[in-house]
Amino acid sequence: MKNFVLPRGWRTLCLGSILAVSLAAPGVALAAGDVVFAVGQAFETLDPYNTNSTGTQSAGRAYYEGLYGFNQDLVLVPLLAESHEVSSDGLVYTFKLRQGVKFHDGTDFNADAVKVNFDRASNRDNRLARYNQFNRIAKTEVVDPTTVKVTLTEPFSPFINAIGHPSAMMISPAALQKFGKDIGFNPVGTGPFQFVEWKQTDYLKVKKFDGYWRKGYPKVDTLTFRPVPDANTRTAMVQTGEAHFGFPVPFERAQQLKDEGKVDVIDAPSISVRYVSMNVLQKPFDDVRVRHAINYAVNKEAFGKVVYAGHAQLMDGVVPKGVDFAHVSGPWPYNPAKARELLKEAGYPNGFETSLWSAYNDSTSAKSVQFLQQQLAQVGIKASLEILEPGQRVQRVSQAPDPKQAGVRMLYATWSASTGEADWALRPLLASEAWPPQLNNTAYYKNDVVDANIAKALRVTKREEKAEIYKIVQEQIWKDAPWVFLNTANNVYLRNKKLSGVYVMPDNGLSYADIEMK
Amino acid sequence: MPSYLLKRLLGMLPTLMIVVLVVFLFVHMMPGDPARLAAGPDANLETVELVRKQLGLDRPLPEQFLTYVLNLAQGNMGVSLRTKLPVTTEISTRFMPTMLLTLTSMAWSVVLGMLVGIMSAVFRNRWPDRAGMTAAVSGISFPNFALGMLLMQIFSVNLGWLPTVGADSWRHYILPSITLGTAVAAVMARFTRSSFIDVIHEDYVRTARAKGASEPSVVGHHALRNALIPVVTMMGLQFGFLLGGSIVVETVFNWPGLGRLLVDAVNMRDYPVIQGLVLLFSLEFILINLIVDVLYGLINPTIRYK
Repeated sequence: MKNFVLPRGWRTLCLGSILAVSLAAPGVALAAGDVVFAVGQAFETLDPYNTNSTGTQSAGRAYYEGLYGFNQDLVLVPLLAESHEVSSDGLVYTFKLRQGVKFHDGTDFNADAVKVNFDRASNRDNRLARYNQFNRIAKTEVVDPTTVKVTLTEPFSPFINAIGHPSAMMISPAALQKFGKDIGFNPVGTGPFQFVEWKQTDYLKVKKFDGYWRKGYPKVDTLTFRPVPDANTRTAMVQTGEAHFGFPVPFERAQQLKDEGKVDVIDAPSISVRYVSMNVLQKPFDDVRVRHAINYAVNKEAFGKVVYAGHAQLMDGVVPKGVDFAHVSGPWPYNPAKARELLKEAGYPNGFETSLWSAYNDSTSAKSVQFLQQQLAQVGIKASLEILEPGQRVQRVSQAPDPKQAGVRMLYATWSASTGEADWALRPLLASEAWPPQLNNTAYYKNDVVDANIAKALRVTKREEKAEIYKIVQEQIWKDAPWVFLNTANNVYLRNKKLSGVYVMPDNGLSYADIEMK
Repeated sequence: MPSYLLKRLLGMLPTLMIVVLVVFLFVHMMPGDPARLAAGPDANLETVELVRKQLGLDRPLPEQFLTYVLNLAQGNMGVSLRTKLPVTTEISTRFMPTMLLTLTSMAWSVVLGMLVGIMSAVFRNRWPDRAGMTAAVSGISFPNFALGMLLMQIFSVNLGWLPTVGADSWRHYILPSITLGTAVAAVMARFTRSSFIDVIHEDYVRTARAKGASEPSVVGHHALRNALIPVVTMMGLQFGFLLGGSIVVETVFNWPGLGRLLVDAVNMRDYPVIQGLVLLFSLEFILINLIVDVLYGLINPTIRYK
């Protein structure tokens, strides 16, 4: 046995590590023109039609484009389409396409390509995860190479929003043919960058596409997306210069990073609402006075300060600012005295016991429900907390088979209307057709005025008329208060001082069409 | 010896088969529906059912089990529900980073831990012992995610000496292996110390001194060898745990290892990946146990294998 040489081995090792530390040059060399994004979510597949990850869709904007797209302020802009016309019955959409656009593999972008993509997305047999976004497409016809006509099964006024969504991308028909199901590993689009490499555990790399139709763009050579799940690590990477962009950033660290001044700390509004749904089929939440009382009992201003370190806006309507057709009805004032009074009127002078679940198990959500529990206790409501992990949430909330037996009472959740339009901020959450297990109406709210008008708005194409309908819907919901209306949290992100033209959009997606590195 | 090894290796098979069955049942009994999770919040019931079909989860459970076992017999662990990549690919791309990090962490921590343990035992209740054990207790008590974040803040952000994340060069290994190895070193130190103290009062140690053996030879040869059995057992266990991938360290340093894969798989109820990982971890533990048993014989020749 040679165990006695251990001390020497140890000495070598120790020396080795001292040497290692002193040899390591400060900073990390970066390729010129390479911009590194440290993002929170890992990519699951690169097929935009088969994923729900905002991260995947954000990266998709590098190599894919849709007919329409959203700019950094969530305003619809034409991309591969130049314009469109809607028939008076709202059933037929005719698109005029941009000319002279080529896919990365050299295939021409034209009406045929649009048809191939819409046919794929609307075909049930392809079993794509975003099928319900395209299931109203009855048929797509090629009129001439630059004109395409889409017929819907029923009028659907937010159709342009649905195809402006980052899942409705145009994939090269040749590539679809060639790769088949493996298109998720080999994206070929018309975007400013073309796909280079995707190492699942490490990064996704794209490079400048020389044949891009927007002349002079893009202005950087390569982009690297690195998924980094830990928020502190992400922050450290931007501080050391290993990444040029980091999102999301822990709210409580934003101020400190701002004071240090080494990187730009940007605080931008979002459309992701934070709310607590109350199961209105169950006592005591079937009483509107109780629901009002709870809304009065929560100090939302303090909620934003405590949980989001002030990086939040009060919710001043059912649909948040930034989503099309949002209507301002609030904010709901904080008034614990009034809350107690209402509870007394409703027959709960000493409050009651209930359960409050958080739909997510991250630390911010945990903090949120703890804060709410404490606020509710002030008016005598004892809420037991439970923080659900994703599988539990699905089992106990989303898949609850019988509405009357559903165990959910108060549920803390968030929602971001991915089409940027009121329909997707209301229908999946508050229409009676959306009760679980169908969609996410976890309040089990049902109001005939709301249901009828949400359905009606889908058939109306005139803007003013639609705005009027959505106003009625939102006023009604605000009055019925099936939710505790909390706030919308801001998107806080870090940007290297040399980097410009990169934004986090209100829907948490990334926008970087004008990306530039000084 | 070879026949002993063969017997032990064959004995693994029934164990692994039981693991396969238990893991399959356990995984499918977990609350949560992978189709709903994969389809996401925007999907309605119809879309969820489409995704369920796409993932092959609409078939009856016994049928799914049979397919799984038949495929497994051919070395096919199925396809990840989340990424659609083969489970063997998912696991193999992450195995080496975890293995290398485990090896580097174990190497320094075992050497340092044993050294501190021996010093503490030899100088029992004097200052080297106190210092060593204080360090060891601190090493066990300090949570490793905090240590990782602290090290990163100092050496990457403030001093700029070392990179924060990735596993590309040897410099990437320094911080994670320190973070991961600290607790192991501390455990090893405590174990070596107590085992050594037991041995050092034995008659044969006194005999060795009486016959005039030098003190280093007494400590390094007569005592250490006998004290090593429990230490090696502990080492095997620690090695097995680290090979499972440390979730905390892998998250903090963005290490492309097995721990994070397991967390992602459990969160999304990615059944094939969870099954594959648990199977791998069981196999690793069985093999490590076997290696530890063989080491016993090398350390103490009086142990015989039949």
